[in-house]
Amino acid sequence: MKKLWKFLGKVLRVLAIVYAILFAVFYFDLDGKFMYYIWEPMMVKRFDNMKRKDNTDMPYAKKDNVASKEYTQIP
Amino acid sequence: MKLSDLKPSALKATYRKLFVVEKSPSEKEKPKDLKKELRDFWYGKPHEERRLGDLYVENTGLYKHREWRGVKDTFYYFHMIWLYNYAHMVTDILKYGEGMQALPAFLKGTMRYRWMGQTYLTVMHWFDRGMEGMRGEALRASAWHYRGMTSETIRQFMRMFISDKKLSGGQEPELWKKNIAHNETVGGSIFYPWRDVLDDVPLEMIPYFVSVHVNNHTVLNYIDAAQSIGLPSDPCPMCQAEYGLFVLDDYPDYAPTMVTSNEACDGSVATSILQDWFLNRPLYAMPQPMRYDDPLVQEHCQKEIEGCWKFIEEQYGIPFDWEQYVKYARSFNKLTEFEWEKWDVAANTEYYPINGVAQALYRIYYSQDGDRPIWHEIDDHVRRIMNKTVKNKIITFPKTRHRAIAWSCAPLYYSNWCTWAYNCWGINCVINMDSLMFDQYLRTDTYEHALEDLAWMNEKAPMRAMAVGGHEHILSLWNYMERFHCDMVIMYDQLQCKGMQGIHGVFEDEFRKRDIHAIWIPHALPDKRTVSRKEIRQIINDYMTTVMREEPLDPTLVDFDDDASW
Repeated sequence: MKKLWKFLGKVLRVLAIVYAILFAVFYFDLDGKFMYYIWEPMMVKRFDNMKRKDNTDMPYAKKDNVASKEYTQIP
Repeated sequence: MKLSDLKPSALKATYRKLFVVEKSPSEKEKPKDLKKELRDFWYGKPHEERRLGDLYVENTGLYKHREWRGVKDTFYYFHMIWLYNYAHMVTDILKYGEGMQALPAFLKGTMRYRWMGQTYLTVMHWFDRGMEGMRGEALRASAWHYRGMTSETIRQFMRMFISDKKLSGGQEPELWKKNIAHNETVGGSIFYPWRDVLDDVPLEMIPYFVSVHVNNHTVLNYIDAAQSIGLPSDPCPMCQAEYGLFVLDDYPDYAPTMVTSNEACDGSVATSILQDWFLNRPLYAMPQPMRYDDPLVQEHCQKEIEGCWKFIEEQYGIPFDWEQYVKYARSFNKLTEFEWEKWDVAANTEYYPINGVAQALYRIYYSQDGDRPIWHEIDDHVRRIMNKTVKNKIITFPKTRHRAIAWSCAPLYYSNWCTWAYNCWGINCVINMDSLMFDQYLRTDTYEHALEDLAWMNEKAPMRAMAVGGHEHILSLWNYMERFHCDMVIMYDQLQCKGMQGIHGVFEDEFRKRDIHAIWIPHALPDKRTVSRKEIRQIINDYMTTVMREEPLDPTLVDFDDDASW
């Protein structure tokens, strides 16, 4: 029984520490600061340097009709 | 990072910049009052003493620390908004990603698409901006609306990612054939007859529209890309951003067909044409008339919808299912009924618990999206809160000096201006034009009635009903002002909307004639470079000081820099 209480005490202590850390992240806007100063510049760099397909290479021509007749002909 | 950045003096300066809220000289001189400090700690500071502007890290919109709202509201925000939403983002990703494939698909999407990797992870700051200064039931109800939008956004991008050819090495994932892509201004209600077997996902809603609200940096790439291939820069920047996604090849390939619309104006027909070019797949364009209440156009409009239904039947080989249409239309009607209840409380009481930005964004999102389970879940939460505020006569925005109606199309990069306007000046934006669209009950007794109402509903789509749908609709402002007991108009002036520019002078004349306090807010929809948020605030500040001769409730919010913020 004593061991169980000890174990539960430890679990509670860990939970309290995790809770305090999360509250500090929340209160001091550490998630926002991380996103703004670290994550976003990293992503901007990645996307700016990403090789992309040049969609304008696709020829623009009149396409075949997808249906044999107009869908919306009002009789 | 330079070595000089690690010097103690530089570190101290950075620490002060990012974390330390400087006290004003008058605050420093004030004698200590322990009783008051304890009261402020427990209940939060009174509105006039909050000094919210001091919390910002200069130019970024970040907070040195998030606002202390008193014990109850701070911990509500921490538990039920911040933690709850972060946790539910994870569960939503797993749920909508359909099991084990969810996490790899999410990671691939985050690393592949700018609008995802750069934008959506900053979502909790979107909550922060919208909920600044909110307390009690107003904080709770508004945050539930944001939760609904976040969840539906995750549902949509996860559906895109798990069906996306581009994320699957060019192979067709199983779900690719079970999706219908459509323009964001084609209402989800059109696809009810196939909702149980196919999923309709708007193509630009998440990559463009919602992204601007969350983080307005991303969209500028798409606008610039559109202009970089020689397309003109003067059409609506919304259309530019929509086709800019294609120029930059930043759209997911998740469906074999596309349904487009002329959106709100014939300027945006170009978007359909360019999408037809870039997508190179069966595309059905479903134009809606501009002068939509002309009886002569109703049959045409209904035929267009039926044409779209035929297109889906032929392309997917799945017949139109009337029973499914009825099921979803009736379910959507329940959302409409609750919306009317909300309007009633907003118009006639001081107990409406939803702030201006939550009202506007939630309404336009769910009515455009169509019936989804999350909207019912959110409405249940909000109904409970609203019943409480009405029953207990809780005045939700106690510092209201002016009840405002916002008219025309809003600046997407500053949709939370109304939160600022309430905190700074006591301007409570009780309703807005976008909320009043789609005001249509869907009858389901006969096919003919259903089609007629569905056509009406789509004719009353965003930016059409009261922006380019004819002057009688745009000028219905006066009627709504009266119905919602408003004494002030915030008149959005979308500088690149030719439709609204055409009627600018009429409004000017009418405001003068009717002796209405109207503040014009110029903007370029998603593009913050044309009119910055600071300039928008300055216009309101100038009006409030020179015309209204009022003092700000929170002077620290009058002038601050946030040009580089999300």
